[in-house]
Amino acid sequence: MLLLPFLEWCEGLAMSQAYRESLWLFAATQSLHLVAVTTFVGAISIVDLRLLGWGPVRQPRARLARSAQRILLWAGLAVLATGIPQFTVNALSYSRSPVFVFKMCLLAAALVFTATLRRRVAVADEGRLPSWVPRTVGAVSLALWMGVTITGRLITFYG
Amino acid sequence: MPSVVPALEWLEALAWTTAIRESTWGYPLVETAHVASIVAFAGLVIMMDLRLVGLAFTDAPPMQIQRRLFPWQMAGLALSTATGLLLCCVDPLRYYGNVFFRVKLVLLALAGVNAAAFHLTTYRRAERWEDDPQITATARLAAGVSLVLWSAIIVSGRFIAFNWFD
Amino acid sequence: MMKTKIIVVLLAAGALWSVRSAQAHHPFAAEYDVNKPLTLTGTLARMEWVNPHGWIYMDVKQPDGTVRQWTVETSAPGQMSRRGLKKNDFVDGMPLVIKGYQSRKDPTLANGRTLVLADGRSFYIGAVGGPNDGADR
Repeated sequence: MLLLPFLEWCEGLAMSQAYRESLWLFAATQSLHLVAVTTFVGAISIVDLRLLGWGPVRQPRARLARSAQRILLWAGLAVLATGIPQFTVNALSYSRSPVFVFKMCLLAAALVFTATLRRRVAVADEGRLPSWVPRTVGAVSLALWMGVTITGRLITFYG
Repeated sequence: MPSVVPALEWLEALAWTTAIRESTWGYPLVETAHVASIVAFAGLVIMMDLRLVGLAFTDAPPMQIQRRLFPWQMAGLALSTATGLLLCCVDPLRYYGNVFFRVKLVLLALAGVNAAAFHLTTYRRAERWEDDPQITATARLAAGVSLVLWSAIIVSGRFIAFNWFD
Repeated sequence: MMKTKIIVVLLAAGALWSVRSAQAHHPFAAEYDVNKPLTLTGTLARMEWVNPHGWIYMDVKQPDGTVRQWTVETSAPGQMSRRGLKKNDFVDGMPLVIKGYQSRKDPTLANGRTLVLADGRSFYIGAVGGPNDGADR
């Protein structure tokens, strides 16, 4: 497997060793990860609900989306900062978990979708696009991000 | 004071609770639905709280945001409560003896009191927020407390998984 | 900017307040000792095929002739099923071998990694994210 040297390098990092040895550090990291994920999903949902026509409708969608984007960036950073150490500690084991690999694929798809198509639709003038476009984008976004959250939980149950 | 343990043992021994507990798909379904609905619900609560403390969506009147989010928050709360109760029925003794579960229940009660206090007082006068900064201070406090409590609830829920036998 | 700092501190405090003490656990490393691998050979007392972790209770004969009951933690039924293990593969009284790691605190508790049945079939019964010993290949 081509990834093997990379995965072994991950496990050998000083950061990984620190997380392996400190009870406090790992627990705190996992806790912050959950709060950051929840905040991130909240910022995603409020705009997706708006795209679907159900959220705060009196605000211009573009302004709502731009404000949410700031939360997404900060919360997303926190998710990465707390997620990466959790992975590197057990990189080899996670790489052999089909559910984890699937989660990473979903995450990649969600990130690309959110950074490209969804961003353009969210800040577009609201009269310009036929109503099925923002509705579909909102639905796909919710499905992708809730999918990442759900798949993360399923690792425990299905490996 | 009579112990509740025999009742919990009876609950745990029921055919349907046992079936879910041993199921390759039933338990994962309930627990995952529980986590997903909490994330959805608490995520929207955090958005509302961030607006109230003035960190996000600052050009939107808070009332507008809260009114539209409220039904979705309630839907998430309903689903997480239902799945949570189901989980309690499926593995009652485990949760009964788990200190983090008890902490989570206390925190939930506190969050409920905070939300009720907010909805019954500040919320009612919200139309005047734009004019009266003093009410905003109370709302900001309630929002700050809410942020702390819901973060703690999420974390204590996660810690239930780490066995700590009393 | 000050408000941002306050909120970050509030959220972090909220999260960390629930961490309580150093007894908050890493799933594997805090409960089990990777430097204490063991192999248990014995008979099955009972199998609790439950979520989120299964529990194997096995009677292991000691060198001095006495019998000690061990508790072995496994992964979830879904994980074990995926690898071909079934609930009815476990029959009370059947012989079995388990390889795993001993608990740090409880001398008769172990984390199970490999299960070998009487018919020779071998299964990985550990969870994702344990020590890198190749048992999950």
